[in-house]
Amino acid sequence: MNFFTLAVKNLQRRRGRTGLTVLGVAIAIAVLFILVSFNSCYEKHLNKELNNLGMHILAVPKGCPYEAASLIMQGGVFPKYLSNKDLNAVKKIDGIEIASPMLLHQFIGPDGKPHVAYGINVNEMKRLKPWWKVEGRFFSQTEDNAKVLGKDIAQREKLKVGDILPFGPDKLPFKIVGVLEKTDTQDDEFHFLPLEVVQKIFGKPDQITAIAIRVKDISKIPEVTRQLEKIPDIQAVTITQIMGTIMNLVGSARALLVSVVIIAIIISAVGIINTLLMSVNERTREFGVMKALGAKGADIGKLVLIETLFITISGGIIGLLLSLFGASLIEVLIKGVIPYSPAARLISPEPRLIGFCLLFSIVVGFVCGIYPVVKSSSLTPMEAIRSGLE
Amino acid sequence: MNNKIISAQGLTKAYRRGSEEIFALKEVSFVVSRGEFVAIVGPSGSGKTTLLNLLGCLDTPAEGNLRINGIEISGLKEKVLVKLRRENIGFIFQQFFLLPTLTVRENIELPLLFSQKSNYKGRIDKITELVGLKARAQHLPHQLSGGEMQRVAIGRALINEPEIILADEPTGNLDSATSQKIYELFQELYNQGLTLIIVTHNIDLAKKAHRVIYLTDGKIG
Ligand SMILES: Nc1ncnc2c1ncn2[C@@H]1O[C@H](COP(=O)(O)OP(=O)(O)OP(=O)(O)O)[C@@H](O)[C@H]1O
Ligand SMILES: [Mg+2]
Repeated sequence: MNFFTLAVKNLQRRRGRTGLTVLGVAIAIAVLFILVSFNSCYEKHLNKELNNLGMHILAVPKGCPYEAASLIMQGGVFPKYLSNKDLNAVKKIDGIEIASPMLLHQFIGPDGKPHVAYGINVNEMKRLKPWWKVEGRFFSQTEDNAKVLGKDIAQREKLKVGDILPFGPDKLPFKIVGVLEKTDTQDDEFHFLPLEVVQKIFGKPDQITAIAIRVKDISKIPEVTRQLEKIPDIQAVTITQIMGTIMNLVGSARALLVSVVIIAIIISAVGIINTLLMSVNERTREFGVMKALGAKGADIGKLVLIETLFITISGGIIGLLLSLFGASLIEVLIKGVIPYSPAARLISPEPRLIGFCLLFSIVVGFVCGIYPVVKSSSLTPMEAIRSGLE
Repeated sequence: MNNKIISAQGLTKAYRRGSEEIFALKEVSFVVSRGEFVAIVGPSGSGKTTLLNLLGCLDTPAEGNLRINGIEISGLKEKVLVKLRRENIGFIFQQFFLLPTLTVRENIELPLLFSQKSNYKGRIDKITELVGLKARAQHLPHQLSGGEMQRVAIGRALINEPEIILADEPTGNLDSATSQKIYELFQELYNQGLTLIIVTHNIDLAKKAHRVIYLTDGKIG
């Protein structure tokens, strides 16, 4: 027999309570893990996603520039348009490397849900997004019945390269010539086509939703922005501004989420500490007996510590497993609450975070284990035995 | 070596009950020699358990001096007391206080866990046999009779090879046949040279003692 078997036998004595306490710890740790993971990943992925737009400035129609920007990012459609005249004016500005027009058009797909057709200039887009890889091939700018699908949409609709599908109001047959490899951005959700094709099919000749601009030298972004805004129809939005807008938009929702979660964690932590202390308290007599049999205060502390650590560590491990397996479900829930979120996974098994959560559960175990040590060393064995009898 | 294993001088203990103080012991003095067998008798409520607790260093007297093996107890830190209890004293409680989750054998073994004597495996079996519980070694306390629990408590008190055994009503609720077995056990311990101090109502057990200390209302007399 050793301290460990003694502790385990004690935990087995109250299986129901032990189980519930472990569950309580598990839930608290799971919530903590999800919250911290979400918080630390959100900004990182948002940043990455914005950088992966491959552009520095977005020229949009005058109106509500920030709203337009986030609409474009999520593939929404804005009721105002730029024209080829604007595009030509933009191209004349000094310091611009690429100015690529795009037209986004929303349509109802075969699944009855809104899809977005993304008209692009394919060569410029490939330069803006050099990381794009395609299974199959890209269309050429002059092909008028070919498209490339984002990975998520292709997977969801079980479409593959070579499939031919009716497209547009006139249900013309379009061939899927390529599927983009997963980018973990909104690009995974679009139907890409040549700009001119989208303009023609949806009856919007000469209309452009936005112009993606890359400058030659990032230090010139403010200068280029000033030049852009001299064009009467255009409002220029930098990626930094978009990031700021999104963070603002999301900030309050996130703050609410964080405070709810923190309160939940505090409540459950108090509950756990209470149960652990209670189970220690009702054994005061037993500890008195042990002291009478030659146990030091430290021996009793060791015993209690093993018990509480057993509970909190196993709770911590179960909680981590819970949150890792339940991560995709939880992501869907969180992303439903947050106004804008990156397409990438936000809850990921980051080793440092897992370590942190386990450490947290160990600390809770120690906090609960210290009290009985202090208490039992302040009582004589008889005082402990008597207090247990009352 | 000092032959007085225990010497008590003016031991006084009061319990607080609300605002009034109840003196459970008043100025109790006596000496016990090494290897002696002393019985403490007296009516219920006379302070026997209180006295035994003080002798076992489980409680602290309000006044008076207590020396065990020549060491003055009062003022010693709990750490030192633990060591003293562990190495010198085997205590048998009136209500046994066995740990409900542990088997007979594990209950007897428990003090070894605290004294960290690891080469005692043979001794556990020997003691279990001595108290006549070999066949019940794997049973839990709630599966035992009162006499068997009593014997577990005795075995547990013996495991660390103490010099002094303090037993509180060891035959309290037992029939005469079972009591007889327990006397024989104590007789054997006494023959081995242990010092026995036993609180008892049992005249037969008290008769076997070298000496009887009578307590009435917390006083010797
Ligand atoms: N924790 C306590 N608080 C208050 N009074 C107590 C406490 N313990 C004992 N007493 C009182 O002290 C006196 C002596 O008690 P003690 O238990 O020593 O008697 P005893 O001789 O062992 O009796 P018994 O033969 O019934 O076991 C009694 O009057 C009892 O009521
Ligand atoms: Mg008593």
